[in-house]
Amino acid sequence: MKRRPLIVRLLSRLEGPQTLGRGWRFWAGAAIVLAAAVVYPLLTDSYTVGNTVYFFNWVFMALGLCLIWGYGGALSFGQTAFFGIAGYAYGVITLNYGADYGLTLWATLAAIAVAGLVAAILGYFLFFGRISGVFLGIVTLAVTLVLERFMAQTAGPEWHIGSARLNGFNGMNGMPNLTIPWPGEDGSLVLAPDLPLYYVVLALLVIAYLALRILVNSSFGNVLVAIRENPQRATMLGYDVRKYQLASFVIGSALAGLSGVLYTTWGQYITPSSMGITAAALPIVWVAVGGRSDLTTTLLGTILLIGGFQALTIYGSQYALVVMGALLVVTVLLAPEGLIMALALLPQRLLKRSARDAT
Amino acid sequence: MTPLLETRKLNKRFGGLQVTADVDFSLERGELHCLIGPNGAGKSTFFRLILGEYEPTSGQVFYEGRDITTLEPHDRIRRGISVKFQVPGIFKALSVKQNLEIALQHHLEGHSLRGEIGRQLDFLNLTAEADQAAGNLSHGQKQWLEIGMATSLKPKLLLLDEPTAGMSPEETHATGEMVHALRAEGMTVLAVEHDMAFVRQIATRVTVLHFGRIFAQGSIDEIMADDRVAEIYLGQGHGAPHHA
Amino acid sequence: MFDAIFGFLYQFGDASAFLVLCASGLAIIFGMMGVINLAHGEFIMAGAYTTVTVAKLGAPLPLAIVCGALFAGFVGILLERLVIRHLYGRPLDTIVATWGVSLIASQGTLILLGPSITDVSTPLGSVQIGALSYSVYRFVLMATAVAIIAALYLLFNFTRFGVLARATIQVPDMAEALGVNTRLIYSLTFGIGAALAGATGGLYAPTMTLVPTMGSQFITEAFVTVVTGGSDVFLGTAPAGVILGFIRSVMTTWEGQLAGQIGLLIAVIIVIRVLPRGVSGLILRERA
Repeated sequence: MKRRPLIVRLLSRLEGPQTLGRGWRFWAGAAIVLAAAVVYPLLTDSYTVGNTVYFFNWVFMALGLCLIWGYGGALSFGQTAFFGIAGYAYGVITLNYGADYGLTLWATLAAIAVAGLVAAILGYFLFFGRISGVFLGIVTLAVTLVLERFMAQTAGPEWHIGSARLNGFNGMNGMPNLTIPWPGEDGSLVLAPDLPLYYVVLALLVIAYLALRILVNSSFGNVLVAIRENPQRATMLGYDVRKYQLASFVIGSALAGLSGVLYTTWGQYITPSSMGITAAALPIVWVAVGGRSDLTTTLLGTILLIGGFQALTIYGSQYALVVMGALLVVTVLLAPEGLIMALALLPQRLLKRSARDAT
Repeated sequence: MTPLLETRKLNKRFGGLQVTADVDFSLERGELHCLIGPNGAGKSTFFRLILGEYEPTSGQVFYEGRDITTLEPHDRIRRGISVKFQVPGIFKALSVKQNLEIALQHHLEGHSLRGEIGRQLDFLNLTAEADQAAGNLSHGQKQWLEIGMATSLKPKLLLLDEPTAGMSPEETHATGEMVHALRAEGMTVLAVEHDMAFVRQIATRVTVLHFGRIFAQGSIDEIMADDRVAEIYLGQGHGAPHHA
Repeated sequence: MFDAIFGFLYQFGDASAFLVLCASGLAIIFGMMGVINLAHGEFIMAGAYTTVTVAKLGAPLPLAIVCGALFAGFVGILLERLVIRHLYGRPLDTIVATWGVSLIASQGTLILLGPSITDVSTPLGSVQIGALSYSVYRFVLMATAVAIIAALYLLFNFTRFGVLARATIQVPDMAEALGVNTRLIYSLTFGIGAALAGATGGLYAPTMTLVPTMGSQFITEAFVTVVTGGSDVFLGTAPAGVILGFIRSVMTTWEGQLAGQIGLLIAVIIVIRVLPRGVSGLILRERA
């Protein structure tokens, strides 16, 4: 029996038991949303475009947490740590070596690799040390907070890597935007927060979303949810649980690193407060309220919540944070599967109830 | 002939409690061996030592002649040991089909994977429930699903921890038939059981554990006739272990 | 020579007292009830704020601290009834929900009371020992830490409530069957944990600036101590506080504040790896 070509096998994994949304109606809807996203920036001003990119930047971190927590069952508070590590790494590399010859792109890859490496080391200690559950959360939270305190104390001039000063509480700034090298007289394309950057980030988002769908519906994803549901049984089916948890942790943390780099190049700064306790709460809010066990609900939830948060910060960020905290409590008590998820499942549940009432 | 499974002077202490004491046990290929004994005799602990979930305080475990005492559980599974637990260890929130897929995707994929899943669903009489959440199955169906998952790995040694717990007499008998069929396919079975009708139906040999030690071994008739065995179950002289 | 040694001992005692006080409330709640309370820092803040407010109204400091503890305890009981009660057996959800509460509490306080409130100065001045002078209040804190552990020990081992609480938490069905009002026990135990946090806030209030986010300064230390200690408050949290206090003061003396914190973190990771049930797990196993 000949195996189907790789591309067919991959595409068939876009749908599966681990993701909501299947059939031509779903994909048609998704295509419409994508088309709208492509056209939207042409219709509004540069500020809104830049702002939308700001929203998109965070989604990678949320998707990463969705993988680690929603699919893998491991509650990690470390996403903002890797966000910060990658952001600072990008800053250090580009402030030392500049933006020529497409270096910013290499710096992006290197920064994500650094975050991934740290995640691999930390993850090794956690998962191969059989640390799970609440202890995993506590250790990752502790790592994030200590990292923040460490970076906040690096104000003196002796704290530098090459010519890049870490700058303590004020953080690092002035690093170059992402720059795509272009041959010819005009030189490289500098991706300031405007149209070109928008399309690059949108493309990355689409790629990440689709790739993750394929991953979670593959045999890897099957084992991951098996581990979430019953780790003992997964072991007794011959799977090395630790390796799968480590893999999903590194992938999810690398995605957080991608968010970190994009954030840093968007605003051209990175500060320790990106790793503070309030910042660390936000990915948890987005993923929990959106619906952590599914990529699509996480994606939608994150964008809605970030938009909502930004709308509320007009009144003051404290109010926005109070609302976020309240949403978290309400979600856990009333709809632990996530608010967006509850909405998505509502038609099914109403249907079941009316079928039951009818009989 | 090297025994399929062997333990030498296997000991396990938890703090001050000796749960497994000096167990020298060997299991030949093709046996249908039952492990019985009063509650607290250490039967489940013994299983966990074989599986690697517990590390022995001292002693060794041999499988196919090789020392596996320090091998991780998932590695032991990969060498051909499989287990069905007392409390159904299935993935309750996932569909029945997905449960089987996770078990089978180890050594199958694509077309043959789908085919084998279908075959297993048929064999287990669960085709109608394929897309339902496994948690919605009846208790007996859950047990069979788990046995199906455990056997789909085509193990050489199958450990069953109280496979007929909670089953009706008909279901119990059907399970016994299933065990005979598995043996015909080349599996060796070691089962912890309380239901003596089931033990009688399947066992080629029986071991009695008491306070973590091997108390008696032999055929089911020899064990049932042994007064000392009756004593440890009831504390007095009367009444051999009988039908549940 | 004497100064160096005494100075180190002072640091050591101070660090240990801080960790033990920080962690005791959390340890009661986590160790006895298995609940991770990420709003722990906010109970400390609530205690600190109440203490300072009452002290500024003219009450003597010890009374103000008691008020702080009572207020925090009351809020704790409220939280247990409204939120925590529904989440027993769901530890990850408890973490998430209490984090939400923490956000609400800290940001809400920021909205209602502004970025800081005027504080109270450290009482009792300083004393000269050897060539250096030390804050007397810090010695008081060390003594208080010991006293609180002793009081908790007496409470949970020699009072009716304490025995009932331990029974309820270990075998709730049995306790119910014996007519114990388990819901009340859970509420009160959580309240005691919260009150201890409030007391810690009150005790340290004269030594810090009072901002709504001050809780976050305590929370890492508290968790680290509880995790290292394991689930028994007396065999775990107290020794863990001492051991980690030692590590921290060594690192601080040697390299400075930051090294102290990093040393703490590394110690925790090692402990979790080597002693998954914490120090108390080790002690209980050796004993058996």
